Amino acid sequence: MTPRTRKTLEFVLDNLVWFMLIFVLAIFSALIPNYFQPGIFVNIIEASSVLGVMSIGLALVIITGHMDLSVESVAALSAMAVGILFCSAGIGLGITFSPEWLMIPVSLLVACTIGALIGLFNGFLIVKLKMSAFIITLASFIWVRGIVLAVSGGRSAQDLAPAIRWFAIERFLGIPLSAWIAITCFLVFSILIAKTPFGRHLVMIGGNETATFRAGIRVTRNLIIAFMIAGAIAGLAGWLLAVRTSGATANLGVGLLFNAFAAVVIGGVSLKGGVSALPGVYAGVLLLSSINTAINLMGLPANYTQVIHGLLVLAAVLLDTFKQRLRQRLA
Amino acid sequence: MTDKLLVLNDLRKNFGAIEALKGISFSIGKGEVVALLGDNGAGKSTLVKIISGGQQPTSGSMLFEGAEYQAKTPAEAKAAGIETVYQDLSLCTNVDVVGNFFMGREICRKIAGIPFLNERAMEDITSKALASAGTRIPSMRTKVEHLSGGQRQAIELNRFVHWGGKLVLLDEPFAALGVEQTRRGLDMIRHVADQGIGVIIITHIMQQAFQVADRIVVIRHGVVAGDVESSKTSPDAVIQMITGQSLSGAGPEGR
Ligand SMILES: Nc1ncnc2c1ncn2[C@@H]1O[C@H](COP(=O)(O)OP(=O)(O)O)[C@@H](O)[C@H]1O
Ligand SMILES: [Mg+2]
Repeated sequence: MTPRTRKTLEFVLDNLVWFMLIFVLAIFSALIPNYFQPGIFVNIIEASSVLGVMSIGLALVIITGHMDLSVESVAALSAMAVGILFCSAGIGLGITFSPEWLMIPVSLLVACTIGALIGLFNGFLIVKLKMSAFIITLASFIWVRGIVLAVSGGRSAQDLAPAIRWFAIERFLGIPLSAWIAITCFLVFSILIAKTPFGRHLVMIGGNETATFRAGIRVTRNLIIAFMIAGAIAGLAGWLLAVRTSGATANLGVGLLFNAFAAVVIGGVSLKGGVSALPGVYAGVLLLSSINTAINLMGLPANYTQVIHGLLVLAAVLLDTFKQRLRQRLA
Repeated sequence: MTDKLLVLNDLRKNFGAIEALKGISFSIGKGEVVALLGDNGAGKSTLVKIISGGQQPTSGSMLFEGAEYQAKTPAEAKAAGIETVYQDLSLCTNVDVVGNFFMGREICRKIAGIPFLNERAMEDITSKALASAGTRIPSMRTKVEHLSGGQRQAIELNRFVHWGGKLVLLDEPFAALGVEQTRRGLDMIRHVADQGIGVIIITHIMQQAFQVADRIVVIRHGVVAGDVESSKTSPDAVIQMITGQSLSGAGPEGR
């Protein structure tokens, strides 16, 4: 094998999910009437913003070799907090500020702070007290959703303040601002992971925690920060959810966790940790979103979505194993 | 003595009921190479981990450069100038050669107050350091998981040579190396010691110990069973210290 073909092959392997995305889009465009339109593609991007943002936080923690099952409930709690504070109907309190735009930073701050605090709680128990990340975040998944149900009393908040709602309506280059937020997050966190010492340390902790500890890297501190970031980003996802639905319901976002897992795995982040592939995760999110859109357009019952997503995750894991084999052969 | 670099004073370490170290006392001077020998389970690795901050002694004390020393973390030991090459290698195989060489000491460039990795600077230094030590690694950007055991060990060894410090601890550093690489590794140790850095090397191979060490310290069942200048003893005598069978003339208490 010449060095060039090897390089090409490695490039394809590294970006496989993007090729899959293009492939799937091409197939759908060819086979499904009305699929190939700019409007549909914008829809795909828009529909993937909440899931995309949430997947970033989850990926960050998985890269370090840990796990965060609580992101979905955290997003719901943040959405509910924003809904209660800034919605004018239902259980909304309808709080307003006098320059109206002030509601944007305040609502963002509320959403992200709630997430970061829950992340701090998770991280402290998992890293400092060395408890199982799976169990601790499963517990958070349950009790945080419980708080959402309790504070809302099962009712919903509607009519989010227009100043905040603006993000779902206003467009830039034809794409809603809410989707741009997701794209920006992917850019920022991809750079954080690949180009900064903090990101590099997270990847190395995921690879060999003992080695990083021996090298003098502050493993405990870095891991707790990672959990806090995951929580804060989940809070941001919740904020987007509230913005997109113009309010919050008690069961908002149910099922997002598994889609986020699917996106992370499809994107090429190994559940064993140590593999960073945030751009791939975004492709994974877009892939799921494209498939959902295709299912909608074909008029298939929505229940099939779950079956297809499940199969996709399976395919992704198989593909990952296959890729690793091939890589070993290349090396 | 004034030029003592590290003095160990009655170090003890218990793992539950197991007494891994039962009162270890010896010292090492600047620029001195001490070979630490002993059977499997004698307590050598435990001793190294205590000096390098990975574990805490149950009791006992240490003096480093004349001052009370007790590292609670490897970071503290490094800050004091103590570098360690562990028996089980400390590399992140999911990261490339450069990332491993600079693990925890990345060169950064600040842009708007945010530190960014300066990959080019780090790659230059890494490839120079590895080349000058005669280690052949095709690309500095290869992930370590794709490298052979010998190449991995070479990275670890070059890492400590590059970062230097004042005292270097090596726990069986040549286990995965070939003949030629081992010879180069031994040269490297002498070179490091000539700069005034103290070296403690654990090895199972008697010949290596005599080749490189100024002094040989033998540990048996968690106690010092011998502490002799290597020019004043013989491999046979050392083996008897290790196994504990005393023969007349092979003074285990020789000093
Ligand atoms: N973390 C640990 N927990 C319990 N026992 C240990 C631990 N580390 C070492 N030991 C015990 O301490 C003794 C010394 O081990 P070690 O220092 O690794 O020996 P060596 O490196 O000389 O072969 C052995 O009996 C070993 O089983
Ligand atoms: Mg050992």
